[in-house]
Amino acid sequence: MIDEQARLLSNREVAADFYLARLNAPHIAVRIEPGQFVNIQVGAGVAPLLRVPLSVSGADREAGIIEVLYEAVGPKTRALSQVGPDAALPTLSPSRQGLAAPSEGTRVVLVGCGICVPPLLYWGLKLRQRSYQTALLVGARTADKHLSNELLAPAADAVHLATDDGSLGHAGLVTDLLQNELAEKGPCAVYCCGPHGMMQAVAAICLEAQVPCQVSLEEYMACGIGICVGCAVELATAKGDTDYGRYARVCVDGPAFDARQIKWGNAWPT
Amino acid sequence: MGQRMADLSIDFAGVQLRNPVLLASGTCNYGQELLPLTDFARLGGLVTKTITPQPRGGNPPQRIVETPAGMLNSIGLQNPGLEAFVEKQWPLLADLDAQVVVNIAGFTVEEFGQMAASLEALAGIAALEVNISCPNVEAGGDNFATRPQTAAAAIAAVRSRTQRPVIAKLTPNVTDIAEIARAVVDAGADAVSLINTLVGMAIDVEQRRPVLGGITGGLSGPAIKPVALAMVWKVAQAVDVPVMGIGGITSARDALEFMVAGASAGQVGTASFANPNAGVEIVEDLYAYCDERGIDRIASLVGSLR
Repeated sequence: MIDEQARLLSNREVAADFYLARLNAPHIAVRIEPGQFVNIQVGAGVAPLLRVPLSVSGADREAGIIEVLYEAVGPKTRALSQVGPDAALPTLSPSRQGLAAPSEGTRVVLVGCGICVPPLLYWGLKLRQRSYQTALLVGARTADKHLSNELLAPAADAVHLATDDGSLGHAGLVTDLLQNELAEKGPCAVYCCGPHGMMQAVAAICLEAQVPCQVSLEEYMACGIGICVGCAVELATAKGDTDYGRYARVCVDGPAFDARQIKWGNAWPT
Repeated sequence: MGQRMADLSIDFAGVQLRNPVLLASGTCNYGQELLPLTDFARLGGLVTKTITPQPRGGNPPQRIVETPAGMLNSIGLQNPGLEAFVEKQWPLLADLDAQVVVNIAGFTVEEFGQMAASLEALAGIAALEVNISCPNVEAGGDNFATRPQTAAAAIAAVRSRTQRPVIAKLTPNVTDIAEIARAVVDAGADAVSLINTLVGMAIDVEQRRPVLGGITGGLSGPAIKPVALAMVWKVAQAVDVPVMGIGGITSARDALEFMVAGASAGQVGTASFANPNAGVEIVEDLYAYCDERGIDRIASLVGSLR
């Protein structure tokens, strides 16, 4: 864990309310892994009080740069979107478990939606550098909630989009795209980031198809370093056999988990 | 940095503190996560997350929501339980260069006594802070801290089973906190700490549901500081034991306000969530404040309200 004064290099709008911030943070850049997040202090610490956790969408170790792609939706992300270059932002690199690569030669399918796609972009790029074949499936409500092809393309050999209203790509859910992928091309390793319901659906499809699935989770948190015990996620099987192990902390026990570890709902098979 | 002159040490109910800044229960877990991010040797000490007799999984998510200048939590006393604490957490805590106060709770009077007795053999615990006031967990309906009789009963049970200093942690969710303070002191508490969180709630209007899995939660952060300050001032006048001030301390100035109001020491809580080194930075600023103003002993400020 490291707390670093990151310097904002650029912060530009890349889609409707979506911003890409590049930060000089050399200590974090050398150790951050795909699927992990950074916790950024925006403002002086009373309002907003807590930091904002944001997934890292890219890192350049040599240049000491990290990138975060975020949607300006709440007070903190809106405030961050207004911060100009050269600002110093206390940035904590807290998370422990990044995404883990599949065995060599395995085909990779990345499943994300809207603004939940950033960790998959970083992961896809890394896997392609290691010669994995990757497909990226992204769902969004409408066409303008999709990131541009320029941002998505480097992460995958093939990009497939879906929109709820049919304004771009497949008219329907991103899980339809995953079902197609599995039916047409067979076994693969799936990595998923998105809202709870979408991840649950993807986890269920993967369980049924008997393909491995890792998820990068987000949960409301106060600290991001494991001390508030706020970002709890219920496990399918309690760790250590006591009630204490019923929940894991997303920030330090994750944020990446094997989808089978998570209790997605009360009826979830264990 | 100029030469440091001020003496920040405090004798808190017989516990020798290097300085009056401790990390509050529930905001530093059992210390380990903060090791790379702060220096316990520069703090007065830390208070562990509450330990209960049995392991507890805690409340369903969502457990945290930010509110104006504060936050609500609904953790539900997630903790490994007494046995695992003694085996796993305590040896690591004992290695820290810091005064460690262990926070305990029970769900019956007898459990409070058992908790104290079970910890008595562990060398190195500076004091017990007794959580009779956590608003998140129901103990047969009422919580101990809301009535003088039940608060006193829990403290008396601890008192009778330990030689260590006993600090009673008080809830603000009462009509007259001074009445509760007097009751726990009469029952044998060596000190009181206050305030625990204020009961609060957040609602998602679109879904018409409570935001927190536990429905209500505990409000903390700068938003509660004026409430805490008033209660510390009131309690400090009502009892003759040392008072530990808690509630929204984010800066050295906040800590000084509590000391002037009558607190001998203070605990930094929510501020550590945004800045894991907040406690140490407050200590540094206390040195600067005292040195700039020629204050030799910070203890001289305690209860100095004119």
